[in-house]
Amino acid sequence: MPLDTSSYSLALLRLDGRRWNELRRIHAQISTQAAADGSSYLEMGNTKVICTIAGPAEVRRTGGGGSDAEIKVEIDIAGFSGVERKKRTKTDKRVAEMRYTIANAFSSSLLTHLYPRSTIQITLHILSQDGSLLAACLNAATLALIDAGIPMTDYIVACTAGSTSSYSSNDESADPLLDLNSSEEMELPFLTVGTLGAGEKVSVLVMETRAQIGRLEGMLAVGVDGCKQVREILDQVVRRHGKKLVNSIVE
Amino acid sequence: MAYPSIAIPGQPLGLSSQYASGPGTHVQNAHICASILGPVVEYAQDTKASSGKTRDSPPPVLSVQRSAQLVSNDAALTNVLPEVDAVVLARVTRINPRQATVAILVVGETVCSDEFQGLIRVQDVRATEKDKVKIFSSFRPGDIVRAQVISLGDQSNYYLSTAGNHLGVVMATSDGGNTMYPISWKEFKDPVTGVTESRKVAKPF
Repeated sequence: MPLDTSSYSLALLRLDGRRWNELRRIHAQISTQAAADGSSYLEMGNTKVICTIAGPAEVRRTGGGGSDAEIKVEIDIAGFSGVERKKRTKTDKRVAEMRYTIANAFSSSLLTHLYPRSTIQITLHILSQDGSLLAACLNAATLALIDAGIPMTDYIVACTAGSTSSYSSNDESADPLLDLNSSEEMELPFLTVGTLGAGEKVSVLVMETRAQIGRLEGMLAVGVDGCKQVREILDQVVRRHGKKLVNSIVE
Repeated sequence: MAYPSIAIPGQPLGLSSQYASGPGTHVQNAHICASILGPVVEYAQDTKASSGKTRDSPPPVLSVQRSAQLVSNDAALTNVLPEVDAVVLARVTRINPRQATVAILVVGETVCSDEFQGLIRVQDVRATEKDKVKIFSSFRPGDIVRAQVISLGDQSNYYLSTAGNHLGVVMATSDGGNTMYPISWKEFKDPVTGVTESRKVAKPF
């Protein structure tokens, strides 16, 4: 199903009927698990992620830990989440890089200096994968960290952006695409961009595929713009949750 | 009121020239910004702390309260920590000839939200004949021990002592898995098999 050669150029509609700058449906809930210190459930299209936070808790191992809280990320990809059932080892390089990226992103946005010698454990359960996995994980973790009440300077929100032009066609006017699903991710170059706050401050940028350098600017601009839309949606979710909490106190 | 009733992380609440930053907020670009989700509270600063300057009163403090603080009652909120001389209940997790490692479950009357690791060294098991004490015949993994904190210890363990009549094993299970009852200051008996096992027994109330 070569997306960039057949249908897209005619109708300018993607396989799932979206235009180039449209996000998939985002549905999110906060405080889904009572046992965790903070939790969230996030759907970006058919990508579904549960995030739970444990901590800040005392460091278990001997030796103490540093003057800042350490952020540990655990990613559990369910066997039934993908198209084919794939056995993933503990040392999967892609998962390891996602864990590192998430830990790194949040260590800059969270006020970790308030919790010396402690750990904040972010556990992500991926129930269903359909593209933009890292972005969904970052968004879910942001919501769960807000629920856990861990102080942060601002939200980290993320989404993906891709480019429809193939390397060989060298088509300068090709559209960039926002929020790719898995079939688009498989054949198009794409990047995951995460922004901190309402501005255009990029805090996460991951690209695993190759693309011409000329495409990068367009992809990045679309990605940052998408992050603003995601932020609006997450903002609504957080505000709704905050209102609910305040109402439950008053009653 | 310039600031909103509920703040979300990163939301600017006021200028840092007009307010002081309280818990749940941080200062960014001369603005007080919320760092957690919750209702905004304004209160006057403690004047005793800045008694040097009498002329201008200090700015009011803006803080964001953690929503859960208001929802949950105070008992759940107070996170107790073992302190020296506190009597604790702990579960023995592993033993070796020099010490017994325990997980502290209850401090005083309060159940801990998190387990704390503690250590009972062989010389702290009882007050007399310390040289004859054997950890193996005083504690077994799984026993519930009443003990007193003697030191905050090193960075990973609290140091506990069971020297005292009222301190020692309060609940024990036998090798057969039956809950035993104490028959003397150093023995527990299995009600099913009748076998006795040696422990450092706490005097029942």
